[in-house]
Amino acid sequence: MASHVDPRAKALTYLIGSAAIILTLDLVRLAIISGGLAMLLIGTRLRQRWLKVMLALTPTLLLFALVAGWSGGYAAAMGAALRLTALVGAGVVFFGVAPPEGLGDAFLAGGVPSQIMFLLEGALRFTPMMGALAREVYEAQASRGMRFDGVHLLHNGPLLLTPLLLSVMRFADDLAEGLETRGFGSPQRTPLREYRFGWQDGALIGAALLLAIFIVQ
Amino acid sequence: MSPLVICNEVTYQYRDGTPGLHQVSLTIEPGEFVIVAGASGSGKSTLCRLLNGLIPHIHGGNLTGRVLIAGQDVHSTPPYILSRSVGLALQNPEAQSLATTVARDLALGPACQGLDRTTIAARVREVAALLEIEPLLNRQLISLSGGELQRVAIAGVLALHPRLLALDEPFAFLDAAGASRLRETLHMLHQRGVAIIVAEHRLAEVADLATRMIVLHEGRVVADGAPRAVLAHEVQQWGLEAPPLVRLARAAGMDATPLTLDEALEVISPNGSAPLAFPDCAPVTPPVIAWEDVSFAHDNRMVLSQAHLSAAAGEIVGVLGANGAGKTTLLRLGNGLLRPQHGTVRIQGQAIGRRPLWEIARSVGLVVQNPGHMLFAPTVQDELEAGPRALQRLDRAWISHIIDQCHLEPVLRRPPHQLSAGEQRRVAIGAVLASQPSALLLDEPTAGQDARSRQALRALLTDVARAGVAVLIATHDTEWAYALCTRWAVLDAGVIIASGTPSAICAQPALVSQARLRLPAEEAIKQPARPAAEAAGYRMQSMPSRTGAGDAGFSKST
Repeated sequence: MASHVDPRAKALTYLIGSAAIILTLDLVRLAIISGGLAMLLIGTRLRQRWLKVMLALTPTLLLFALVAGWSGGYAAAMGAALRLTALVGAGVVFFGVAPPEGLGDAFLAGGVPSQIMFLLEGALRFTPMMGALAREVYEAQASRGMRFDGVHLLHNGPLLLTPLLLSVMRFADDLAEGLETRGFGSPQRTPLREYRFGWQDGALIGAALLLAIFIVQ
Repeated sequence: MSPLVICNEVTYQYRDGTPGLHQVSLTIEPGEFVIVAGASGSGKSTLCRLLNGLIPHIHGGNLTGRVLIAGQDVHSTPPYILSRSVGLALQNPEAQSLATTVARDLALGPACQGLDRTTIAARVREVAALLEIEPLLNRQLISLSGGELQRVAIAGVLALHPRLLALDEPFAFLDAAGASRLRETLHMLHQRGVAIIVAEHRLAEVADLATRMIVLHEGRVVADGAPRAVLAHEVQQWGLEAPPLVRLARAAGMDATPLTLDEALEVISPNGSAPLAFPDCAPVTPPVIAWEDVSFAHDNRMVLSQAHLSAAAGEIVGVLGANGAGKTTLLRLGNGLLRPQHGTVRIQGQAIGRRPLWEIARSVGLVVQNPGHMLFAPTVQDELEAGPRALQRLDRAWISHIIDQCHLEPVLRRPPHQLSAGEQRRVAIGAVLASQPSALLLDEPTAGQDARSRQALRALLTDVARAGVAVLIATHDTEWAYALCTRWAVLDAGVIIASGTPSAICAQPALVSQARLRLPAEEAIKQPARPAAEAAGYRMQSMPSRTGAGDAGFSKST
């Protein structure tokens, strides 16, 4: 079913859902949204990805809750943690069902300039590659005896930046060349699929809107 | 027919003032197969980038002289127009992987030309069939091997239907099997009428395929002619290394330039000695580092299985195997970046167990494939001191010794990231040795290095071993490792299938073939059975012409 929905409709639904999560103040409703998203993720092949993201975000989540709790008390801390969890869940679902290129093609078909679309596609496409690069740099430094555990991270962390930034800049140069060699500078680019809004797109957006209004009010 | 490329008195200087080309004049006709040879920094890559407009449109700089590509002036024609005449496959195929799946990646170029979807689909099918990558079409690019990625990058460029395909050091990161496949692809494309330019300093890979060889030295054309005629010169003067078969012929006192094994056998008589015994020459002295029954799996795939290997002080052990055989994993288990799921790694007799990485770094140094990832300090001197400082074993007298040993004195005050690839490699090795490890592990140290750097590296590692360090080198560069290593361990699909002297291993054709290694030239001419030598990556004769009924598709549409 997800593959029959226009990526633009998915993007709009995601934005409506995210707005609803941000605007919902009631803790019970936030818990229901988070629980619903968690159930959805656990029941799909996106579970592992979500767990991985949540694991990586745990320190941020705790810090976020701590800061919110410091100024607003227990309820604010709970709200902050639930809101972040729900936003992450919604993001994982969205990017799981709407691959960057599908999104790019759909917006391209809608008249958005190809260069702007590549910025979006590129950001999503190359993020994992940059993650792998960061890991390689970290391992190369750790192999020389540099410590990045505990407080050592504060002291030695900046050592990672020079090779990482240089590698990223070199990769960006290579990428720019790679794009030009494939004719990317051309003013015309054909979307690889034809996209038309159908009844299912309208239904999805309408349902998302109704649900958001019901939750937020 | 008018020339595809006309360069007339072309001089180019990069934006930062680095000279690129100087008074280069040449023409390239349709259907030619040209090697552009030269040491690192000779101007090979600059010439390739000039041919499809990356210079001057992307790199800027100062370009004088006249450059016409298929009749279009490079000065006034943007790269996206020139890319329809000249396809450029860059050295780093990852940077040319612009989509998530192979099919979408191949479609990107034609889509950018504004072609309709039916034509785009036809182009994708055409180039996928041409390069035999149909099974990869739905694969994620991130899941492909280096060789596969390279073929996809070439296919992506060919989907634009260029009349000339330029490749910048395409063999730099390929193992013997990948290199052999790429040679076949280039030969096939040439047979179909595509003009080919290969910028390369590993001349053995394409010398017998090319119709012409241009040598660049310090930005100038210093030789231009048939490969055999150019290789008859002393190419060392231009920082190049003659193909191994040519060197062997010269060493045998022959005044010939053999480019294939058949030609070499005509002029050099093999010594006729019987195949050597296959002794396991494991060290008799206590090993500095040892892998004992080590296994490691990743993503439910066994990457290394029951590996037994050791290296003693002063030994240089080559860990050989094709890409993906498990060489890098073996090294990473050796320095604690990975921990064995079964078995033990011992350093000077002690199991590394759960010892932290920084503690292991006192005994085992690892130089990763990309030395740029290791270097962070503002100067080479600081770089050499950073590791020992972190390990609290800074010894300035020892660092002075390392500076001498690695010949780093001239670059001590320079930022490491501004050095050449060969110099960066030496700095990385020096930085690791500065911490006085007893074992030095190197991952593909010759990848992307020119002849001078490879020779300098060989001399340096010999010195290091002589000083009592156990050296382990993961490589698929058999020619280089043959002259350097005291012992080879051969990996295939995660299993160490043999360990012995390089000569003993090379005398086992079935083993060499199984591990997809390329026989060093010196051993290849000894092989009594020619099919065995061919199976081990050696061409017996020049590739035959393959123009046939099925060849019409690409040449018609180009």
